[in-house]
Amino acid sequence: MTASVAVRRSLMRRVLRTPLGAISAAYLATLILVAITAPVLAPYPPSATDLSNVLAPPSAEHLLGGDSAGRDILSRLVYATSTSLLGALIAVVVAAAIGITAGLVAGYRGGWFDASSNWMASTILSLPAIVILLAARSVIGPSIWWIMAIFGVILSASYYRIVYGAVRHVRQELYIDAARVAGLSDLRIVGRHVLTAVRAPVILLTTGLFAVAIAIQASLDFLGVGDPSLPTWGGMLAEGFYNLSRTPWLMVWPSLAIALTCIALSLFGTALRDVLERSSEGAGKRPVRWSPPTPRPDATIRDGRIHDDPLLEIEGLSVAYRGDTAWATVVDDVSIAVARGEVHALIGESGSGKTQTAWSVLGLLPPGGMCVAGAIRFDGLDLLRLSARELEKLRGHRIGYVPQEPMSNLDPSYTIGQQLVKPLRITLGLSRREAKLRALALLARVDIADPERTFAAYPHQISGGMAQRVLIAGAIATEPDLIIADEPTTALDVTVQAEILQLLRDLQRESGMSILIVTHNFGVVADLADRVSVMRSGSIVESGSVADVFADPRHDYTRGLLDALLDGAPARGALQA
Amino acid sequence: MTHRTKLALTVAAGGLATALALTACSSPSATEEEAETTLRLGVVTQLSSFAPWEASWANESPYLQAVYDTLLRTEPDGTVIEGLATAWEWDDARTVLTLTLRDDVEFADGTALTAQVAADNLVRFRDGTSQNAPFLAGMTSAEAPDDTTLVITLAEPDPALPVYLSQNAGLIGSPAMFDSPDAQTTPIGSGPYVLDTDKTVVGSTYVYEANDEYWDSESVHYDNIVMTFYGDPTALMNAVKGGQIDATNLQSPTQIAEAEAAGFTAQTYEQNWTGFLLADRDGTINPAMGDVRVRQAFNYALDREGLLQALDGGLGTVTTQVFGLSSSAYDDALDDRYPYDPERARELLAEAGYADGFTLVMPSNNFVPESVFAIYKEQLDAVGITVEWEPTGDDLFGRLLGGSWAAFSFLLQTDPTSWQTIQFSMLPESAWNTSHVADPTVIELAQIVRSGEEADADAAARELNAYVVEQAWYAPVYRPYSAFITAEGTEATIQSDNAVPYLWNIRPTE
Amino acid sequence: MLTFILRRLAAGVLTVLTISVLGFFLLYLGARDTARRIVGDTAAPEIVARKQQELGLDRPIVVQFFDWAGSALRGDLGRSWFSGQPVTEALASRLPVTLSLTIGAILLTAVVGTVLGVLAATRRGWVDSSVQVGSFVGAAIPGFLVALVLVLVFAIGLQWVPATGYIRFTTSITGWLSTIILPIIALSIGAIASIAQQVRGSMLDALRLDYVRTLRARGIPNRRLIYDHVLRNSAGPALSVLGIQFIVMFGGAVVVEQVFSLPGLGQTAVSATIQGDIPLVMGLIVVTALIVLLINLAVDLIQGWLNPKVRLS
Repeated sequence: MTASVAVRRSLMRRVLRTPLGAISAAYLATLILVAITAPVLAPYPPSATDLSNVLAPPSAEHLLGGDSAGRDILSRLVYATSTSLLGALIAVVVAAAIGITAGLVAGYRGGWFDASSNWMASTILSLPAIVILLAARSVIGPSIWWIMAIFGVILSASYYRIVYGAVRHVRQELYIDAARVAGLSDLRIVGRHVLTAVRAPVILLTTGLFAVAIAIQASLDFLGVGDPSLPTWGGMLAEGFYNLSRTPWLMVWPSLAIALTCIALSLFGTALRDVLERSSEGAGKRPVRWSPPTPRPDATIRDGRIHDDPLLEIEGLSVAYRGDTAWATVVDDVSIAVARGEVHALIGESGSGKTQTAWSVLGLLPPGGMCVAGAIRFDGLDLLRLSARELEKLRGHRIGYVPQEPMSNLDPSYTIGQQLVKPLRITLGLSRREAKLRALALLARVDIADPERTFAAYPHQISGGMAQRVLIAGAIATEPDLIIADEPTTALDVTVQAEILQLLRDLQRESGMSILIVTHNFGVVADLADRVSVMRSGSIVESGSVADVFADPRHDYTRGLLDALLDGAPARGALQA
Repeated sequence: MTHRTKLALTVAAGGLATALALTACSSPSATEEEAETTLRLGVVTQLSSFAPWEASWANESPYLQAVYDTLLRTEPDGTVIEGLATAWEWDDARTVLTLTLRDDVEFADGTALTAQVAADNLVRFRDGTSQNAPFLAGMTSAEAPDDTTLVITLAEPDPALPVYLSQNAGLIGSPAMFDSPDAQTTPIGSGPYVLDTDKTVVGSTYVYEANDEYWDSESVHYDNIVMTFYGDPTALMNAVKGGQIDATNLQSPTQIAEAEAAGFTAQTYEQNWTGFLLADRDGTINPAMGDVRVRQAFNYALDREGLLQALDGGLGTVTTQVFGLSSSAYDDALDDRYPYDPERARELLAEAGYADGFTLVMPSNNFVPESVFAIYKEQLDAVGITVEWEPTGDDLFGRLLGGSWAAFSFLLQTDPTSWQTIQFSMLPESAWNTSHVADPTVIELAQIVRSGEEADADAAARELNAYVVEQAWYAPVYRPYSAFITAEGTEATIQSDNAVPYLWNIRPTE
Repeated sequence: MLTFILRRLAAGVLTVLTISVLGFFLLYLGARDTARRIVGDTAAPEIVARKQQELGLDRPIVVQFFDWAGSALRGDLGRSWFSGQPVTEALASRLPVTLSLTIGAILLTAVVGTVLGVLAATRRGWVDSSVQVGSFVGAAIPGFLVALVLVLVFAIGLQWVPATGYIRFTTSITGWLSTIILPIIALSIGAIASIAQQVRGSMLDALRLDYVRTLRARGIPNRRLIYDHVLRNSAGPALSVLGIQFIVMFGGAVVVEQVFSLPGLGQTAVSATIQGDIPLVMGLIVVTALIVLLINLAVDLIQGWLNPKVRLS
């Protein structure tokens, strides 16, 4: 358990290091201190009336003045702090005790307890708490402690949900079964694994629920259903409201107390969450300049003709993602040339940076990614220098994109037809009828059996293979000069793969468009490509015509990849259809 | 149009339509205001019931007076005058009251008023669940020898009976209400107005329209009355300042300044007293309280002026008597029989053998701010009477009236007649004589008040008042002001025997 | 789709029934000295006893339950012990007020929250930061505090609108608007914050989705992308939060109605509670449970409709 203790300590420290965390923690600590030392701190007893102090303004003896009964507002505020914090504490403790225990048992054991407590939690969570509390109050009478305890029962559903989910998740991990086999008792299994997993969300929830409890207690006291004999923030607020016409100042102090406390709790929760999730998008962080990673990998061995007037020329491209303290470079000094009408394959293992390179051409890097060096020229245009609008015009018109995963690349809420027609109307300015005709023709062209039916269907109604054809149709719809294909067959069945490759080959021959195809499969390279570039760890290691590279790989890495192919036979030739 | 926009608009339209439909369903549009006059009356209490046999009075009187008549009425100064009855007479023994009723009165459902109907109403009231049902507890029978003669027979004389008949006990409703399940919310009376149940929101706003067939049309000054309940002072004052009210009671005299600043005219009157009932005069619960000197010490210990200032901003009159200003027993001099004198208090305690003081347990409650109990405790502690406030909840009244405590603080009405006050808390069988103390002097004098000739009764009442004050049966502190405000254009005459002016005394200024 | 609806409805009805039974026993068993409170605290014991008998409070609780349940199933929720008004009538007359408050608030929330969330997700920079901070403060501060401040500043201070009271929509539209606008704002603040955060988050997530990239690669401009595709698909989670907030608003309405003196269900809830008017409290519980059931059902239905997989099955 020592590891988790160490983690816990550093978690607190990390939170306190953030400015938000520090301020809110300081406020909350002060509040707790005030609550505990109330009898010592308050200058007067909370119920001590002073006839001459009724609605008196602040003075030397009464720093915040007097209320409608002449009692010292400051003292009452101090004592009310204890009441409010204690009430919230009761609620949260009851909630945690019931919710965490129930969640643990239900999640671990399952069965009828699971089902019934799930139902109860949903029911509780669905009713507005204040209605339940009012009903309870009509029975119990004005006892704020009992009412907060009942509120705790209501809140327990939140703890239950979180703990239950975490337990279910952890339970599926194999190591718990392994631990059981090894003879560890249930309690130890639970304690070690589950509690650690649950710790963070529970702490977060607690800060949130504490704020909620304070707010509800204040509401109830304000409505007058709380205990009028205790000084409470809500009660003081009600008194202020009651005497609004005599002086508006009575309302200010308890309002501030409630508002500041709730804000502090929320701030603390936010700071906590930020530290736990380590979520920082990089926007507005300390700017760190990118520099090429050292040492640079082995110089690439180049081979091949120098193209005149390539359609696409990537020169010295580097792509990096900004982190908290440093950049992560995923593409380092990459140069590729794709001639008109040429199919150029970009091959490498996952993580080699090939997809990032492809996305750079389209200008569609994920958030946080930037092209930090180099140039990308398309038909003479420097893509990295274009404005967003100009790039938009190129995309989908002269540069097409075929993605990897067919199902996740279609919007599930629109029909296939709608998703084909819209880009056509936007990029080509076609009328709806023209676009529809064109789309149907495209669907037929990519060998879809019943174009009309597919046109009207939703993505979930078609197969993966069909979806990929649809995506290809979308890519070629505007007769682009260049297609960027990102592992277009990886997610498909083997038989379908072959068909798709065939389709691509036919389309390319027909239209003479260039293709930059990203893949990790040499078979695809052999089938489709004219030239190939091999990438490893963000750099090109070898590049040349497919025949040359396959016959005589120069770089060790390329050689290693080719050797790893299971059959030692030479690469396949063109597929005999 | 995008899906999102369509969705948003549909939801919006649906919501709007729902709201429209619902609000339309529940209130047909009403635009016949034109040149009609409307009185917008604020009321500070909820109506508990429209059914005459369980009706309340005091702050609820406007709701009821609008739709019902009472057998008798009273002038603002308390003099009993005609109502549904044109004449009334006691017999010599003063136990039989004979009333002559009008013959031209009809209820809103067309039924005619007869003496039998009136008799039935009285019997139902006596046997009903009104808080004031005990007022008629002594009525052995109510008979109607003919359609316009009503004979009420009592077991013992009760000089307050005519006053009762001008209040909730005298409310006469149509016999159709007797067995109706909606009686509590649907009145059928013979009164100056009729309730518009469609526009009325129970518990919030009551709308009345003038009754064109009313037998006393001169007393009707408006075409419509809208009575709105205001539960808390802020809501009331906002309505006052917003010009939404023509006349209303205030919940506390501290609101007077604001009301006047908003252009209202405020009239004040005193119809309540606040202080202590030193119930245990025999000393059965707390021997110390059985000694008159101790009770007098209690009285001397209270700084009445200071308390009045602190608790009610000085808006009231200090007093040491419990009889009302308009009652025969009232005596100016008895307003300050016990000036503030802690020294004297301690002396008296020492005389009685309590030089070191004693402990007194009294109940506290949630009806008044907790600070009130704190202030009282301070003052009594200062002379040696150590107060222990016992918190109570819903069980307060049960235990209070059951005689659990030797003394307790309360806010009570000052009754218009001496007999009411005597009957309320001074006789051995009185509910508020919680220790049921039987004092021969009191009993003797009470008997004269009850059955004697007017002059004798008045003298006896004054004597009784002096005696009770001297014996320190109570420790009253002050009579708080009550206030009724009227906007410009409306005037009202305060009723000495009721918290709210009677409806026929609220009129537009000429 | 039909089986979906029926199943949810059945589950919901079961929940409402269970809540009613539990509520009844808890309330009736806990009721103390109600008869005295109805008649008047200072009433004589015989009067109290008469009232108790009249209301049937001296019968065994099980008998009282079956009596209530039998009538309730026929739509008769009994009568208020204090005003004698039929509970259904009392609730029905006040429901429109609360509905116009909550429906107005949820509409305002949906619109403003969505706009803020979209702005925050797309503009980033200072717009995003201010929306974040605003949402944070709005969510942290209790609603009734906001209501009090609004009353103080706008109604009493600036006197732009009346501080209390309610004018019916049918009486005067401008009047209705003037009395309802502050309460709606007060009720919406917390929810707007919540929705803005939710929309912002969903949108940021959605912007990372594969098909968004693909659509962008097809040349669809950013604005069309956001409104047609990203928002549409963020709508699901946002709608769930909206549903939850709607229910929370019914709770918030209790305090807001008190502050602004609106004669709605919330005000009834408070007074019924303090008085111990149990038939009314029971009625409120049943009505609340039903409303929650309907809202959840509506949200589920809309979610289902939005999702073609459910809609077409």
